[in-house]
Amino acid sequence: MIISNDVSLIYPDKTQALIDINIDIRPGELVYITGPSGSGKTSLLKLIMGMEYPTTGSLSVFGKSINNSRSGNIRKIRRSIGPVFQEFKLIEGRTSLENVMMGMRFLGAMPKQMKTSANEALEKVGLSHKKLSRVENLSWGESQRVAIARAVARKPSLILADEPTGNLDYDNAINILGLLKSFMNENTTVIITTHATHLIKDEQNATFISVDKGRIEIERR
Amino acid sequence: MRSFLFNIGYFIKESGRIIRLNLLSNIFSVIGTGLILFLLGVVITGTDIGNRLVVMLNEEAEVNGYFSLELASEKRDALAVKISNMDGVRSTRIVDEDEAKTRMENILGEEAKILELFDDNPFEAFVEIRINVNAMDSVIDNVKNTAGIEYVRDNREVLEKIQDITYALKILGYLMIAAVGITTLIILSHMIRQGIYNNKDQINTLKLLGSPGAFIGFPYVLTGILLTLLGGIIAALSIALLINGAYDSIGGTIPFLPLPVREELIDKMTLWLPAISLALGFFGSLFGLSSIRERR
Ligand SMILES: Nc1ncnc2c1ncn2[C@@H]1O[C@H](COP(=O)(O)OP(=O)(O)O)[C@@H](O)[C@H]1O
Ligand SMILES: [Mg+2]
Repeated sequence: MIISNDVSLIYPDKTQALIDINIDIRPGELVYITGPSGSGKTSLLKLIMGMEYPTTGSLSVFGKSINNSRSGNIRKIRRSIGPVFQEFKLIEGRTSLENVMMGMRFLGAMPKQMKTSANEALEKVGLSHKKLSRVENLSWGESQRVAIARAVARKPSLILADEPTGNLDYDNAINILGLLKSFMNENTTVIITTHATHLIKDEQNATFISVDKGRIEIERR
Repeated sequence: MRSFLFNIGYFIKESGRIIRLNLLSNIFSVIGTGLILFLLGVVITGTDIGNRLVVMLNEEAEVNGYFSLELASEKRDALAVKISNMDGVRSTRIVDEDEAKTRMENILGEEAKILELFDDNPFEAFVEIRINVNAMDSVIDNVKNTAGIEYVRDNREVLEKIQDITYALKILGYLMIAAVGITTLIILSHMIRQGIYNNKDQINTLKLLGSPGAFIGFPYVLTGILLTLLGGIIAALSIALLINGAYDSIGGTIPFLPLPVREELIDKMTLWLPAISLALGFFGSLFGLSSIRERR
């Protein structure tokens, strides 16, 4: 589903963010990307979303090549991804419900069905009571849940969550990881980045990609 | 396509939001567009009236032959018959002094009082000669050279003048259309750029979520169409007011001016200006959008 061959990413300012990345992520997998801050975790997610192109090597997502793909192709790939950005990227001036629906409008669903799915997603993340609140009035944790609801309401084949445990204490971090994992099934891959390795040290049935200074090591257990 | 139909309500709401986000500047855009469309309307109306005058005067194709003073009045009828037999002449009719005076009284209307200043009827009798337009030159020559005719008055000069004016108006019209087009295009692309700038975070997020460019752009096209159409409607209403006012004030004083039917003219303009503005809004917005580089 995500296949890379010797992918490197060098930013315009010559930062070597990723070096010789070879991965093969399959449908239904749970993947943790770990590593210290600045190691290249977000850069890897950006490559998968087509926000950056590999400097060298080849990368394909859902069987479509990311390398120098036309923006139309990239958008098509993105429509099957449910991203939870580190900074959430919610649209201000709008309610939680509107934000969740905003991620679905161009996917071809009927308006009624769209609203139902959006409400269900907000219900799942435990935020039904805030669905009519404007997102700029929500707390950090609530915003994060809206972002997750927006990602999963799209029924994506791939959920990407960048540092979802970042600001959270242990219990809440475990809860959020549990919530994200609950959306994984045989058709839905979940990829989570975190620098807090202690949170996942006991995890089983998952793939661990540890990044260090742009190089990765993969362990499946 | 399906997503488009399902989201009509969303698009309309969005374009309302885009308009409100920059309300003052958008109001001025509408007024500006309305004004130039109004000017365009004035020129189109002028051209329309001019065209109609030319057609009418062409149809008239009539010259007047004035009798020599020596010609006895009994011989006028014979002369009229003679002229009516000439090539290119359809018919002739004698307009005597009294009828000539009555006609002028009708034309002057209220002002006819000044005719009372004359002791005698100052008008001359003449023979009205209806002719085929293409034979105009030869008929005029022939009539001029007929004994008993002093001089010939034709409406050729007037016709040519009006034709010239109409031609100039037409050119002015094309220039106006170009000016309106370019100005609207600039107003619209500026407006759209501003709207996109104001919403760049939202647009960026939508792109990351995989939204097609058309979906992101459509509310802006809709906004462009709505604002320009509004300008067109303002222009149409103003021109209707102007035409009404002009007919009320001119209509009475120059009854012989063959103006088009007022309602027809108004209907035409109130249909055309919004239609033109609709097209301008559509293409202008697309142009404005296309000038913005499509990025990932
Ligand atoms: N747009 C960019 N331009 C230049 N350097 C960047 C850019 N984004 C990230 N980097 C650099 O690339 C490296 C990896 O960054 P990132 O992938 O964000 O790390 P992580 O998410 O693991 O903290 C860092 O050294 C960072 O400073
Ligand atoms: Mg990061």
